[in-house]
Amino acid sequence: MGSWRQNTAQWYEQTMLYCELCGKIIPKKFWLVKEGSREQIFCDPSCERLYQDYWVPSRQTKA
Amino acid sequence: MATIDTVTLSVINNALINICREMGTAMMRTSYSPIFNEGLDFSCVIFNRRGDMIGQAEFCPTMLGSAQYAVSWTIEELGLESFEPGDVVVHNDPYRGQCHMPEHMVLKPVFHDGEIWGFVANIAHVGEIGGMAPGSFAADATEVYQEGLRLPPIKLIRRGEYVKDVWKIILSNHRTPKTSWGDLHAMIGSLGIAETRLLELLDRYGGAYLTAASDHLLDYSERWMREEIRSIPDGEYRASDCMEDDGVTDQPVWIRLRLVVRDDEVIADWTDSDPQARGPVNATFVVTAAASYSGLLHLTSDDIPRNSGCYRPIRVVTRPGSVVNVRHPGPSVGGNTETHPHIQNVVVAALSQAIPERAAAAEGASGCNFLFAGVHPSTGEYYTNYHIDGSGWGGTAFHDGDSAMCPENGNCRNTPVEVLENKFPWRTLEYRLRPDSGGPGKFRGGLGSSRILRVLAPEITVNALMDRTKTSAWGLFGGGKGGRGGIFVKKRGDTRFRTFSEAFGTVSDSKFTRVVLKEGDEVKIHSPGGGGYGRPAERSAEAIEHDIRQGWVSREAARDLYGYGE
Repeated sequence: MGSWRQNTAQWYEQTMLYCELCGKIIPKKFWLVKEGSREQIFCDPSCERLYQDYWVPSRQTKA
Repeated sequence: MATIDTVTLSVINNALINICREMGTAMMRTSYSPIFNEGLDFSCVIFNRRGDMIGQAEFCPTMLGSAQYAVSWTIEELGLESFEPGDVVVHNDPYRGQCHMPEHMVLKPVFHDGEIWGFVANIAHVGEIGGMAPGSFAADATEVYQEGLRLPPIKLIRRGEYVKDVWKIILSNHRTPKTSWGDLHAMIGSLGIAETRLLELLDRYGGAYLTAASDHLLDYSERWMREEIRSIPDGEYRASDCMEDDGVTDQPVWIRLRLVVRDDEVIADWTDSDPQARGPVNATFVVTAAASYSGLLHLTSDDIPRNSGCYRPIRVVTRPGSVVNVRHPGPSVGGNTETHPHIQNVVVAALSQAIPERAAAAEGASGCNFLFAGVHPSTGEYYTNYHIDGSGWGGTAFHDGDSAMCPENGNCRNTPVEVLENKFPWRTLEYRLRPDSGGPGKFRGGLGSSRILRVLAPEITVNALMDRTKTSAWGLFGGGKGGRGGIFVKKRGDTRFRTFSEAFGTVSDSKFTRVVLKEGDEVKIHSPGGGGYGRPAERSAEAIEHDIRQGWVSREAARDLYGYGE
């Protein structure tokens, strides 16, 4: 189950969060999915869905 | 959502397109540099307040695709609440949703009834933004900091007043600040025109109605694209291509695609591509996404309204740290001009397996970027210029490839010889199509061009960033490869042209910076040709005879490649 989160970095910090599926750098808001101790960051729920129904079955783990 | 009849929707869609066209005309007529007013290396767009692109026109596909990300990033980073009437934001940061450093976006909020209704914006290639190479196309850059001045989304104009501190920083870091001043004002001026026209539209229809209409158009465009994708057989299609080198190391860099069509959705999965290159052929995620969209748009109906809706069914998957998604602080200036058309060509190649009748053979896929700088002997002023040459496009199932055209990702124009010679100290000795550079086929690839320039000043510093000088545009279905490109130099007193590697010891023949040429030296630029489509033996005798008469195909090539006149 995911939830919306926000990058809490200060304006003077250069942090780059990448979507687990598409690889896009996330501006501020992101979709966080927790499975046990594992956290995955996505752009939004549609990237999570594609991760589950395309990436996991066809590619398993990212290179 | 309000019901809106299709005629009104069509009128509104065309009004939005026309606003973008008028912005473009204003930029062309008011800018200072040839890459604006001759090359038309810019794009004009309209967005709603959510960050969806609702209007665009026939500009550069690479910018049009990336505008979606640059604008939405800007809105998210700054927040809607930070915008005030009369503000203009500038942004060129490839690590914040832009495509590469020279492409500057300016964006203006449009207020109606006291609140933001949407945004007007344009992205344009600012020809000199500092960095290690004049013209800011550092072909041997190894990090973004060498590529020029990087600007996150910041206000250039606040409530209609210059933010002078920002302007001073920008103009102090550009080698040709007067030109930047003029070009940036052309961009900002066009925003004013767009704002006026959009407000006229808002006054005519009302904000709520226009929002509803643009939402309808977004959904309509999405539905149409989904229908188009549904007509492509489901399956996984693979294709690949390489950048011949990265300007820093003499090794190819591979781009690999698994393109999955499933029902009404396309997944462009680029994760098997090579790790990011040391040199500047890396694409940002945004470039890869824009090239993926552009590939699909080339294979689907021309009539789909171009807005964010038609991008929705196209999903792009990349791996950060790869040539298709560069990680900070990797360089990326060539990713937008050179790697982008390769990525787009790979999309078309993959889908040629499913829809051969809609596909094209590969294009020359190089902007043949040639940049130069110096002090003009007539004026004593320092100048820089970004020059591009067109290459051949690929043949298709129904016609020959166009010749000497800017790559499909740019949709730009060449600079006339007269303009080039009037503004800069070069003499053009030759500018012509190159015979036999179009790949043979039932439908021949377009021809590349040949240009020879002689230096008329005491010295000119030159940079180049090209590709397809060691590799060739591929043919399809029996069609032959296009001719390779190249860039060569003949120093004054020499009897022949040589590669820059031979003459100056550059790592790459096609990607180098800061080579100083002297008066009387000559440069020869060969742009690559496009691949052919279908077997050459199937080309009609009339078409071959016409090619021979025009000087596009030699009698020898007609005999050897087409079996004509044997």
